[in-house]
Amino acid sequence: MKPGFRQSMAWLHTWSGLLVGWVLFAVFLTGTAAYLRPEISLWMRPELEVTRPGPDIAPRLMEAMARLAPGSPNWSIGMPTARDPVARVFWRDPQAPNRRGFRDAALHPATGEVLTARATRGGEFFYRFHFDLHYMSPIVARWIVSACAMFMLVAIISGIVTHRRIFADFFTFRPGKGQRSWLDGHAVAAVLALPYHLMITYTGLVTLMFLTMPWGAQLAYKGDRAAMNADIFGNAPVTRPAGRPAPLVGIGPLVEEAARRWEGSSVGRITVQNPGDARATIQLVRQDSERISFNPQSLLFDGTTGALISATGEAALPAAETRGVMYGLHVGRFAGPLLRGLFLLSGLAGSVMVATGCILWAVKMRQQAAKRGRVGFGTRLVEHLNVAAIAGLPVAMGAFFWANRLLPAQMEGRAEWEIHLFFAAWGLCLLHPLLRRGRQAWVEQLGLGALLFGLLPLLNLLVTRRHLGITLAEGDWIRAGFDLGLLAIGGALGAIAWMVARPKVAGARAERTAASPLATAEAAE
Amino acid sequence: MMLLALALPYAGFTALCLAMERHHEQVLGRRRIAPGLRRLLRLAGWLLLLASPLPCLALAGWGGGSVLWCGMLTAAALLLTLSLPYAPRLAAALALALPALGLVLAS
Amino acid sequence: MRLPPWTGILSRSIAAILGGYLLASLVAACCALGLALPRAEAVMTGAMLAFAVHAGAVIYAFAVRSAWRAWAGLALPAALLGGLLWLLQSGGAA
Repeated sequence: MKPGFRQSMAWLHTWSGLLVGWVLFAVFLTGTAAYLRPEISLWMRPELEVTRPGPDIAPRLMEAMARLAPGSPNWSIGMPTARDPVARVFWRDPQAPNRRGFRDAALHPATGEVLTARATRGGEFFYRFHFDLHYMSPIVARWIVSACAMFMLVAIISGIVTHRRIFADFFTFRPGKGQRSWLDGHAVAAVLALPYHLMITYTGLVTLMFLTMPWGAQLAYKGDRAAMNADIFGNAPVTRPAGRPAPLVGIGPLVEEAARRWEGSSVGRITVQNPGDARATIQLVRQDSERISFNPQSLLFDGTTGALISATGEAALPAAETRGVMYGLHVGRFAGPLLRGLFLLSGLAGSVMVATGCILWAVKMRQQAAKRGRVGFGTRLVEHLNVAAIAGLPVAMGAFFWANRLLPAQMEGRAEWEIHLFFAAWGLCLLHPLLRRGRQAWVEQLGLGALLFGLLPLLNLLVTRRHLGITLAEGDWIRAGFDLGLLAIGGALGAIAWMVARPKVAGARAERTAASPLATAEAAE
Repeated sequence: MMLLALALPYAGFTALCLAMERHHEQVLGRRRIAPGLRRLLRLAGWLLLLASPLPCLALAGWGGGSVLWCGMLTAAALLLTLSLPYAPRLAAALALALPALGLVLAS
Repeated sequence: MRLPPWTGILSRSIAAILGGYLLASLVAACCALGLALPRAEAVMTGAMLAFAVHAGAVIYAFAVRSAWRAWAGLALPAALLGGLLWLLQSGGAA
């Protein structure tokens, strides 16, 4: 190996990580929250009852759509699941004021009646934010997030090269020793979940590849997007209505046909084109939680006769299957409760890895500054941004949940205001370190985050009837588990705040250990 | 079976960990490891890690099982590494208790 | 002539980010047109490979001894792939 190779990789690791660390932390943490998208959405709509889907749910939902959207050219019905026990439907309505001509509703999973709940984006907000950001064009945001992910990939690779003692230090974590501990923590979070970090970063890039790396597709298809979409995504071709009315075929036999073809697994989504017209089509899409690969499998039926027109995604070719598996691994929707827990753990490890990396830079700079007796502007800036990005984001997330509980249910633009308050809280966290220096800013923001999360179950007791006393008694495990999770997060943030607040214990212990012969021997290794 | 999926990599990592002087001292208070013991710990560690995919594959098949296995390796290593500095003896004792409990629950 | 050190870093960064992206795009394009696979397969193979190429290019640009080498090492394969792409496109049109 060339001399200096490791040094240049260390330099590259430091700067590729630090420059985008704050964005990466936000993407990692909200992306991790997005693993719980249905659970968050359900918790944020306390009005919705949790009911088991009825046996004949598909026909009920089709009848409901015929009542709700009789003149619409396009229906889409998301079937209820165990995690998200309501049917989420949307349909095209040229008169709809917003959402580009679509209306949506949540339907009861047994009766098909329309359910009313407070307006909120729910877990969808964290999912969207982690690649679309907010207050900007999603295209621009996706380019920004993709660029950050590429920096991340470079930081991971150069980090592996830089870390000389991956195996010797595999189990090493020495808390309470200042810079040494930050380095240990950074390495532990990075190395022990390394397969996940590499996977999530690379697959993240792949999910956006048709935006960021379109050149091959553009040359091969010469700009023919329709041909490309049909080829790659298996989109059903749009059919024009015939203008002659004809009744829709019963959905029951089609669902049975799908279950037979997909070895008993269920339908996740039903889309209907031109319902009530002689040229109606019905597409059944397989539930995406049942396979790793995200390549949608679907069946297209004639909407009046029920004859099968085509089946897509049954035998995906290698590259398509590779992309499908990468996409599926990234979104993790196939994961059952156990694996979802491990994804959450790994996602948190990723967030910790980014956070400790940013903090480590500031800690090192502080020590150099202590020798020179002068703290530079860059160090101050990084320290300031670290507080706002790392401690401020949980505060903002907590504020988002509080807004969901406290904004009036009938308020105009309610869903958007929850999000405005999320960013308002984050913005205040960005200003706060101007008033409070160093540790104080960390302790106050972490403490506030702990209070916001820890008190949410209590707030639930006051303003909803979905508090722990009821959810535990009724066996509403999703909401009860979420409340308990909020308590745990509050407790964890509080514990971190307490550790940061403890005055000077860390420094004293580090000096004591450094004087012991054992530490000297280790340093010599 | 779920517990076994965590217990096997945990026990394997602990054995490998005890074969390293720094951690051997952390848990048992002696820095020196007899060469025979070290070889035994390494062998046991690698054998346990080699066996660790089996419960995952039994739980979730080839595709899901291999993803589950990666997650379990991470979880086991994190549990061990983060508990070692605070409760080294408990961490080592878990390496015996978890597989035993896992076997009882799986049978 | 000696330039201050930050010019080298800037030059390498441009080579890594823009040069690396260009190289990755060329790999994606050559795969899309050149691989003997169904069209959608070739396109996706190229695009999925491209990110590894870009990351590799960034590592290379900072690993070599001088900024000049970084540029040269990226320009040479880019020129070769550019030539290949030109052949593939004119071959496809004929």
